[in-house]
Amino acid sequence: MDLFQELQYRRLQDQTRRHFLKQCTSGLGAIAFGSMMGCNPFSSSPSPQKVAAIDTNPMATKFPHFAAKAKRVIYLHMAGSPSQLELFDYKPELAKLHNKDCPPSLLEGKKFAFIQGVPKMLGPQAQFKNHGQSGTMVSNHLPHFASVVDEAAIIKSMHTDEFNHAPAQLLLQTGGARLGRPSMGAWVTYGLGTENENLPGFMVLVSGGKTPSAGKSVWGSGFLPSVYQGVQCRSEGDPVLYVSNPDGIDGNLRRKTLDAINSINEKEYHDVQDPEILTRISQYEMAFRMQTSVPEVMDINKEPEHIHKMYGTEPGKSSFANNCLLARRLVEKGVRFVQLFDWGWDSHGTDKSTALEDGFQEKCRQVDQPMAALIKDLKQRGLLEETLVIWGGEFGRTPMQENRNGKEMPFMGRDHHTEAFTMWMAGGGIKGGMTYGETDEIGYYGIKNRVHVHDMQATVLHQLGMNHEKLTFPFQGRDFRLTDVAGKVVKEIIA
Amino acid sequence: MKNDFLAKKKILILAGMGLAIVAAYWTIHGVSEGSQPVDFNTEIRPILNKKCITCHGGVKRSGEFSLLFRTDALGVNESGERAIVPGDVSESEMLRRIKHHDPEVRMPPEGDPLPPEEITLLTRWIEEGAHWEDHWAYVKPEPIDPPDVASDWVQNGIDPFVLQQLQQEELQPSAKADKATLLRRLSLDLTGLPPTEAELNHFLSNTSAEAYEQEVDRLLASPRYGERWASMWMDLARYADSKGYEADRERSIWQYRDWLIEAFNEDKPFDEFTIEQLAGDLLPDPTDDQLIATAFHRNTMNNDEGGTDDEEFRVSAVIDRVNTTWDVWQATTMACVQCHSHPYDPIRHEDYYKSMAFFNNTADEDVASEAPNLKTFKHPEDRQSLEEVKNWVITHTASADVKLEKAAQVVNLVKLTEPKIHGHSFDQIEKGTLDGYKRLTMEDQGHNRIPGAPLTGADQLLIRYSSDKKGTQVDIRLDSLAGERIATWDIQKSEGFETVSVPIRPATGKHDIYLTFRNPAQKGYLCTIEWVLVNESLPGKDRPGYQEVHNQLFRLLNNDETIQTPVMAEKQDGYRRKTHVFERGNWMVHGEEVQPGVPKAWNAMPEGVPQNRLGLALWLVSKENPLTARVAVNRFWAQLFGTGIVETIEDFGTQGFAPSHPALLDWLAQQFMYEQDWSIKKLLKQMVMSATYQQSSKASPELLALDPGNRLLARGPRVRLTAEQVRDQALAVSGLLSDKMYGASVMPVQPEGIWQVVYNGKEWETSEGEDQHRRALYTYWRRTSPYPSMIAFDGPSREFCVTRRINTNTPLQALASLNDPVYMEAAYALAQRMQQTDQVEDQLKKGYKLAMLRDIDPKKLRDLQHLYEETRLQLEAQPEAVEQVAGPSNIQLATLTVVANVILNLDEFITKS
Repeated sequence: MDLFQELQYRRLQDQTRRHFLKQCTSGLGAIAFGSMMGCNPFSSSPSPQKVAAIDTNPMATKFPHFAAKAKRVIYLHMAGSPSQLELFDYKPELAKLHNKDCPPSLLEGKKFAFIQGVPKMLGPQAQFKNHGQSGTMVSNHLPHFASVVDEAAIIKSMHTDEFNHAPAQLLLQTGGARLGRPSMGAWVTYGLGTENENLPGFMVLVSGGKTPSAGKSVWGSGFLPSVYQGVQCRSEGDPVLYVSNPDGIDGNLRRKTLDAINSINEKEYHDVQDPEILTRISQYEMAFRMQTSVPEVMDINKEPEHIHKMYGTEPGKSSFANNCLLARRLVEKGVRFVQLFDWGWDSHGTDKSTALEDGFQEKCRQVDQPMAALIKDLKQRGLLEETLVIWGGEFGRTPMQENRNGKEMPFMGRDHHTEAFTMWMAGGGIKGGMTYGETDEIGYYGIKNRVHVHDMQATVLHQLGMNHEKLTFPFQGRDFRLTDVAGKVVKEIIA
Repeated sequence: MKNDFLAKKKILILAGMGLAIVAAYWTIHGVSEGSQPVDFNTEIRPILNKKCITCHGGVKRSGEFSLLFRTDALGVNESGERAIVPGDVSESEMLRRIKHHDPEVRMPPEGDPLPPEEITLLTRWIEEGAHWEDHWAYVKPEPIDPPDVASDWVQNGIDPFVLQQLQQEELQPSAKADKATLLRRLSLDLTGLPPTEAELNHFLSNTSAEAYEQEVDRLLASPRYGERWASMWMDLARYADSKGYEADRERSIWQYRDWLIEAFNEDKPFDEFTIEQLAGDLLPDPTDDQLIATAFHRNTMNNDEGGTDDEEFRVSAVIDRVNTTWDVWQATTMACVQCHSHPYDPIRHEDYYKSMAFFNNTADEDVASEAPNLKTFKHPEDRQSLEEVKNWVITHTASADVKLEKAAQVVNLVKLTEPKIHGHSFDQIEKGTLDGYKRLTMEDQGHNRIPGAPLTGADQLLIRYSSDKKGTQVDIRLDSLAGERIATWDIQKSEGFETVSVPIRPATGKHDIYLTFRNPAQKGYLCTIEWVLVNESLPGKDRPGYQEVHNQLFRLLNNDETIQTPVMAEKQDGYRRKTHVFERGNWMVHGEEVQPGVPKAWNAMPEGVPQNRLGLALWLVSKENPLTARVAVNRFWAQLFGTGIVETIEDFGTQGFAPSHPALLDWLAQQFMYEQDWSIKKLLKQMVMSATYQQSSKASPELLALDPGNRLLARGPRVRLTAEQVRDQALAVSGLLSDKMYGASVMPVQPEGIWQVVYNGKEWETSEGEDQHRRALYTYWRRTSPYPSMIAFDGPSREFCVTRRINTNTPLQALASLNDPVYMEAAYALAQRMQQTDQVEDQLKKGYKLAMLRDIDPKKLRDLQHLYEETRLQLEAQPEAVEQVAGPSNIQLATLTVVANVILNLDEFITKS
């Protein structure tokens, strides 16, 4: 038996034994095939699965709970939260109220981040038209997206519990408003493993010059083993930290050094028999493969001109457009979860860059073409069917104009708003060309088919073939899940 | 636990074709039927917890039946029946339902019926009177002697416990590790660093019977010891150099880290160590060090994000303190009790808030300044000046009874400046606003209220303000805008923020204070007020020199040449908060008020202790507390052996794992409290002196198959080093490591572009000189973006307390140790040390020995030689590569650097064995 067969065999043995011991304490249960293949999150008996380590290969492909529509996810998070009222949620009534005092009924018992006293209503700062065969309303700020609107389900009745960026981003991405929970991508790779042994299962791309308010925790692994955390790809320097060899050491020499490391490690293994050494050998091999595969997948130079035109990409720059193209390249290679964050959507109107009449529109221009291109490109490659694309911010924006410190402001802007915002999903078994949920006449409250962020999370997991109530991990004495104690799959948007 | 190990031997594993067929022969074992009474904790509770407690526990109490407390379990349920009638099987509804043939009626409602052997056990248990025992961890450890086992192997009291169990399993302990391996293990365990070559040689040549013990004593006395254990405790304390949340701004709290190092080095007994961290501020006349110790609980996060509610995040911090205290000292997961009674453990919902009441009275309020901060003056003349002010108070306080108290008050005023009334408490604001930092900013004709200020005994307001306008006058009135005027304040232009005194007319009791601002000549904001403090001015107003000492006091209050560390300060009379139950854990929905208290399932508070944090700390370290000593010894044990005696070191509750050696755990806990007087050094010495610890970590395939996790301790530990140790060791063996101790955190080399945090301009500025090569615990730890190689090797973000790091084995670790410039630098430095001998073979041997502290096996040497030759061959054709690695034409050094890079990446190098 060679060493790698031996590693496989040991994994099997360990898993079998561990699983069996667990079952022994809770009565003899059927042992699922899946649990042999790595740490299986689905063998969720209420017994304490507080194993010392998720040993052997935690990233091995695992079977979902049921047949999945989507195999992978691209999540486009607009950090700061774009205004739904200028993009998707058309409110002619709000236009009529423009510049009138906000009715007190909307303010009673409500907390806002910055609005004080009685603000004025702010009419939509956009023109809306029906688009596509579905006749979906999209504003003039998203002309490219309007052309692919028939691929997407637009959810207008999203709502959340948190009105500050960091907690709202955490609630959206980790299911809890405080730090410390695993992110959606971590849960998904924990649940499904990766399809490509040469790349991490969960990769993160950031544009707009800043990481999101909640920091790297929005792609962290929380209490899950750190192997599930998102790997951030950087636009400058190493695409993945330390993936390049030091100056003077080329791939050839690196291969030689790895041969030496592995050879000595094998001898150590024969001497001390610790199976962890075998895992280390295989992880060094994966590191070596990543040294080739990561720069390769991250290099968009070789993409044909028409693709660059389609996305509006400029190789070498850090941009949302480049990240969209990279996202396609990553899912093409089998990366399970690709998370994009684009910073700069916090349109308060305190200055030009955050004004609805200025910076906001620039942000729209930056994302409109690439996100539409992403959908088209995935579709033309036959990837859209199995790739779920999600777009949205962490909350919505108020129908009132922000009046920071109770004062009128020089630019038009809207404050943070929890009660209503818009997200869209496309591909991955989602019904295209539909609108789900409705808000009231001024876009303040969702009045029909409200969708909480936990419902959205439940739906994402469902599309990936997982029951959000069964994807659990024991921590601090209880089984935790992405959707906390809530979440309902939005069946109506599923094709 | 014994049963598990027995069971393990009875498992047959047949694996083939990717499918495993598992056949098991499971017998009910332990006691044979009828011979001994059923044991509740080992035989009954596991069944109840697995099968029943989810629906009949603390959260769900289906049919009003709960198995959490005996009284509930034996009581009458919703149906009018009693589920369990001691001694009467036929009247016990539980058995009827468990055995019922109809799946609609049978319990548990889903899944298979209970197996017959479990039903038999439950039946016998009820027949025998349904004796109830508390979960083992809630019963205090009883005195116990090591079992009587005759063996030469035994070195101290630990070994008989281990050996007895090995004998039951028909196993032998492993041979003693060789001396070099043992010293490396010991040195890494006690100091976090490998021994030097000289230390090793000394040990190898020391043939005395006490040679090993001498090394133990030397390492325990090393200053490196304190650094190693502080490093561990910093995860528990969630130590970081930043505040967390959105902007994640800098926090200066490194004095606490230094306090930890010193506390471990001076072997501060664990009870004092506990008391000072939880309640140092409540000790009589606390020293600065005792105050700094309380920064343990000021490592909670602080939210500076604009528009956030300070009270929400203050509460969040308090909740974190409750959870952390219970996690660290009691290995009890309180977090779930925030919302409902504990689902598995005997802790009721209101118990959470009783615990919270201990912590809910501190002066910190999530303000940006992180007040209260302990001020330490950098310059001796300022410390002298404070002494003079203090002496003035002593000299000029008429009553001898209160002299010292008043002097302490003025020192506290300077050092802590409490009790502040922060801007966020101001209300009824007209023509003014609270800015992003919750500071009051006012215009002409503006006014506001400071609600409920206790004025008894006060004759001045201290006000922290800034203003760039002349001529502003403030009317200060009591109880209403038209109330009695107690002062007029003429605002002077300030240089940034300043603290000034505004004398007021004395009043008694609590009053609302109204401030009205006037300055018709000025447009826009007149001034910004950060906080107000009501207090008593210095005594001796009519004495010569008064004005000077008054000025001296305010110079100290406004002195910025200080180190500030956030500490705990208890709110005084007139300022205290009430604590309420939060309905469903929601901080905005208050239930009934609660008083401080500990859960009933634990020991009572010791008599005569105060009902505050100090009382809580004394309760924790009371020898009646069933958990503190066990949890502590288990934590230290896990650090040495890789796994705790209770594997779930974070959870000793009913859902945690049972101890592998329960009697040993209790014996160690007793030793720690009674024999070692809470001395951590003595505890560690006992552990490392045991034969159990000194075993070789080599495993035979049979042993590995039988006990893969080494729970039986038939061999020594083999564990990957921690993130900190991985770095420190590479720097140490290459000779780069600085031994500089203490001080503000440093910034070693880190790739560009790691820090990109919103609303925060702070940048990573690489430290100079030896500060680049300090031990990892001195590295600046930013919560939203910790040092990359620390995270790669499983360091947590330190946002919350992490009681157990889970070791992973990932390709990102390989990339870090292969390619991180720090590791290349270490390889280069190691190669230079290798060059101290001439022959290539000797150089390779030396490099290996410097790293591993043993001679290289000839086969491994051949691998290095092969690599050396191939590398040399390649580099001969690549002069520019040579230059990049080791400078122009230095092919020998470049080649050795490549070899050293390999040595620093070997599994045996990053593993403690």
